[in-house]
Amino acid sequence: MSARPRSAALESFRSNPISLFGLALVAFCVLAAIFAPWVTPYPTHVGPIGDFAAINAAPSAKHWFGTDTIGRDIFTRVIFGYRLSLTMAVLVLAISVPIGVVLGLVAGYVGGWVEYVIMRLTDVFLAIPPLVLAMSIMGFLPPTLTNAMLAVTAMWWPWYTRLVYNVVRAEAREGYVLAAEVVGASVPHILFREILPNCVPPVLTKITLDIGFVVLMVASLSFLGLGVQPPTPDLGSMVADGAKYMPDAWWLTIFPALSIMVLVLGFNLLGDGLREAFDAEV
Amino acid sequence: MKGLTTALLASVTMLALSCATPAFAERVLRLDEAPIGEIDPAKGTDYADTVLSINIYDTLVYPKQGGPGVQPLLATEWSIDGLNYTFKLRDGVKFHSGNPLTAEDVVFSYNRLMALQQGFASLFQDRVASVEAVDPLTVKFTLKEAYAPFLAALVRLSVVDKALVMANLADGPHGEFKDYGSAYLSANDAGSGAYKVTGQNPQSETTMAKFDGYFLPFAENAPDTVRYRYGLEASTVRQLISRGEHDIADLWLPPEVIKAMVEEGSVHLALEPGATGEYIKLNTQRAPLDDVHCRLALTHAFDYETSNQLLKVNDEAALGVSMNGALPSGLLGHNPADPPFVKDMEKAKAELAQCKYKPGDYPLDIAWIAEVPARERVALLMQAAFTELGFTVNVTRTPWALVSEQVTQPPTAPHAVEIAVAAVTPDPDSLLFNMYSSTVPPTWMSAEHLKDDEVDKLLIAGRTETDEAKRGEIYSQLNKRLRDLAPAIFAYEFTGVYAVRNGVEVHNLKDATTRYSPASFSMLFKDISVNE
Amino acid sequence: MPKLLLTFLRRVGTSLIVLFGVSILIFGIARIMPGDPARIALGPNATQQQVEALREARHLNDPIHEQYFYFVRELLHGDLGVSLYTKRPVTTDVAQFLPSSLELVFASGLLMVVLGIPLGLLTARYQGRWPDHAGRLMSVIAVCTPAFVWGVILQLLFAYFVPIFPIEGQLSSAMKPPPTVTGFLTVDSILAGNMPTLANALYHLVLPALALALAAIGQTARLTRSSMIEIYRKPYVEMSRAYGFSERKIATRYAFRPALIPTLTVLGLDFAALLANAFLVERVFGWPGLSRYGVEVILRKDLDAIVGTVLIIAALFLICNLIVDLLVSIINPRIRLAEKRAGS
Repeated sequence: MSARPRSAALESFRSNPISLFGLALVAFCVLAAIFAPWVTPYPTHVGPIGDFAAINAAPSAKHWFGTDTIGRDIFTRVIFGYRLSLTMAVLVLAISVPIGVVLGLVAGYVGGWVEYVIMRLTDVFLAIPPLVLAMSIMGFLPPTLTNAMLAVTAMWWPWYTRLVYNVVRAEAREGYVLAAEVVGASVPHILFREILPNCVPPVLTKITLDIGFVVLMVASLSFLGLGVQPPTPDLGSMVADGAKYMPDAWWLTIFPALSIMVLVLGFNLLGDGLREAFDAEV
Repeated sequence: MKGLTTALLASVTMLALSCATPAFAERVLRLDEAPIGEIDPAKGTDYADTVLSINIYDTLVYPKQGGPGVQPLLATEWSIDGLNYTFKLRDGVKFHSGNPLTAEDVVFSYNRLMALQQGFASLFQDRVASVEAVDPLTVKFTLKEAYAPFLAALVRLSVVDKALVMANLADGPHGEFKDYGSAYLSANDAGSGAYKVTGQNPQSETTMAKFDGYFLPFAENAPDTVRYRYGLEASTVRQLISRGEHDIADLWLPPEVIKAMVEEGSVHLALEPGATGEYIKLNTQRAPLDDVHCRLALTHAFDYETSNQLLKVNDEAALGVSMNGALPSGLLGHNPADPPFVKDMEKAKAELAQCKYKPGDYPLDIAWIAEVPARERVALLMQAAFTELGFTVNVTRTPWALVSEQVTQPPTAPHAVEIAVAAVTPDPDSLLFNMYSSTVPPTWMSAEHLKDDEVDKLLIAGRTETDEAKRGEIYSQLNKRLRDLAPAIFAYEFTGVYAVRNGVEVHNLKDATTRYSPASFSMLFKDISVNE
Repeated sequence: MPKLLLTFLRRVGTSLIVLFGVSILIFGIARIMPGDPARIALGPNATQQQVEALREARHLNDPIHEQYFYFVRELLHGDLGVSLYTKRPVTTDVAQFLPSSLELVFASGLLMVVLGIPLGLLTARYQGRWPDHAGRLMSVIAVCTPAFVWGVILQLLFAYFVPIFPIEGQLSSAMKPPPTVTGFLTVDSILAGNMPTLANALYHLVLPALALALAAIGQTARLTRSSMIEIYRKPYVEMSRAYGFSERKIATRYAFRPALIPTLTVLGLDFAALLANAFLVERVFGWPGLSRYGVEVILRKDLDAIVGTVLIIAALFLICNLIVDLLVSIINPRIRLAEKRAGS
């Protein structure tokens, strides 16, 4: 595992126009999401109240992305959808990353049966395609925001365990760790003070990439009707609900679909840029 | 890579050519329903299942064309003597297998339905003391006690080919009957109906072929082959029909989509009204709706007009019409003279003033069923109306599985949820008893959780009285009582709107005199013409 | 060779343990969640008596570890229980629906390899020039878009607005399906010698397979590119360049084979991702496969069917990884010697 000096990494990131484009997309989406109530034209359309007089209106200057089946402004709902997706992504990662990292550190360094149990458990979770696992969990729980989050979290931590585990296995044989062991440093000290810092670049990079993928996963769940429920604006269910009205009212589906694409693309380009800059293996 | 592209292009061209070749000269009818298609008549309960069973199997009696009640089918005549119902069977009826249909088969089919305990077994549960084959063409049912809806319930007893089923048993818990042909009949038919199954995939389609040995006549240009498809998206159906690749759409297209198709000129509409009500079930066991005045206030506040407006396809057709009581039209006891409900805020406020609860203290929970997006609009209408009365209203989209779970707990179940309930036999008892008897367990049908002695008395009277005229009187009275009690907002009567490709005619849905009620019984493939 | 066999057997053993774990996990999830599946299955008209009978028949009244015991015992007899949704044995359902899903996944897997790897090679060869930028942009867009969005976009463009492909389904309604032998429509058509049906089935496969494959194509291209570039930096490639070998020869002879290894490893994972994403694509295209079945049974809390479907998918996933492991050790003999691969 090599870690380039921070300044070199920053330099490399800055000189890459694609990464900067990614950063710009992310900044745009995040800012729009944060300031949604102020930047959207019809903030009241977030809830169930629409306008029965303007049902299924095509895109126009008044409604940039058109209106939906109960006359709500789709552009407004997309931006609020961003807000929800991003919040979910941040919360999911805030829970799953620490769990995954700690388990990975322990498994990689302690070894023995602890390692065996943790890594086989990881295998069990990774043996079920993530979407399928999340779906099965959601299938039994009431479809609420919290539950969707829990379901996605349950399938996300093993990736971090495996990532950190691999880093630790590589680092454990390095001189500085051996030196620390020789001077009698405690296990937590070695894990968290010596090894953990070396895990930071790959983990950070993966987090950036994953925000996009969590958004994608949540959207997929709600596309199948297992995620967040209306009237909460959610990109995946907007796509699913709109599909019934194709091709006459194509805007019901296409705009939310493209919006998911833009958001995930932003985080992906940004993550890729970071990966190249840090030269991190994810 | 280049090679592959060429190959792909080549196959696409080849395909375009192969599509251009004319199909067989046979007449194909293509229609669809929501998933899934259950061809075992002892298991199905849904729309698709009904359509399958009436076309593949026969029953002793069939709903009467153009009115309430039943008419002969396999039974040519019957006599009712106290608790004994004796049926004379039509002579010479043959199953698809070639076996003759006899009284033995009827007895076997009844026993099979009750042993499997699925589907419509509940219609006969604890009602029948014995069934016997008196001679090959006579079958006798003996009831335990008087039960007037029995005859109508027989439209749900499909007769299966005993010999064929017994030759195809798999392991199962029913003694000498093993699995009662459960596995076999999920993939094959053992019927005598006008169409026989040629292929079955419950997720994608059932294919059927005309049975030439059928004992009733076929319409001119009746289909030779039927493809009954499942789970197509509304957008897909719309597109397939306009390309001429589909004939009859399912009932669940949004009105906008049907309208677009009509305007395009590719379809005409066939309507199937009656026997299904859209009930906004009010939880009578939870405050503030345990007070009848609060319930009446809600029924006067609901915006029926806008609701009807939203159901409208065009000037001729709508997915629903106003309802004027608990019983939809087409059923005994429906009172055509009663005025339909209208929104009247003055009345609503007057009722609310008499209610012992203050609206501000009791937020109302309204659930709408996630699977039916059109209901979101109705839920929103309620929200708007009830807010006007001073209630705080929470609307939740809830998946069906969860709704059916929630309603079993009256104290916490939602205050209001819109549910469509259809009569499953041509008898009002099949609709009202499971909804309003205080003796039935809490299910989605009885989501009002009504407990009313007079209603109970009338329900029992309707069951035990066998004189048709007196029964009509009883159900009419019951209907009135339910209007006063307002256990539900009787939102509208559901009308099935089939978009039918031009060139195809569904003769049974022409008008009120040709229809068979309840829902789906008109969809006999033999009475459909595929003219081009 | 015995060593290879030994390693392989060890991997099979580990996979079985993992599969056992999966069965406990998914069984646990299915059983501890609230709701009465029997009531849901029997519908509104069922009596309490019917519900009780079904609960008893499915052992739903027993403690959970006993239920698991029954489950394993029946599983060993090849019995996955009865689906409450189709009211048929789950094994019957799986046998009927799995081939359609696999057909779709195989078609996508094929597209992933024949489009993804060449795209990766191309972008690596022109690193830093416009074909590289264009190729990378395409692949990153492909990766970032959920399969269902691709499905909807492709359907709208090529089936509605420019109707050159069918909207949905496996076969035109005018076509008679071939007699079922393998369950794979394409294979059955070939066996029946029915070329129009084969062509029609392939025609119907194009859009769903593409929708499903796009993300994987992008992923494969990106990966091939980065491993090729890494190899290009290696001394022996530099040296052959100095000796004046043509770029084409270097790419095919020296760089491609080692570059394939990481790609291959990830292909196994991608293949599994295809299985999962099929859940989304099958729904868009009305494809009657196992994934669509999976969604329906999950929505209906159909316990046996959920457990069965997930187990089958997990088993397929593990088999894929085993095959990939085997291929990797054939391509690169050094890996055979490595006793233990990191992380697995």
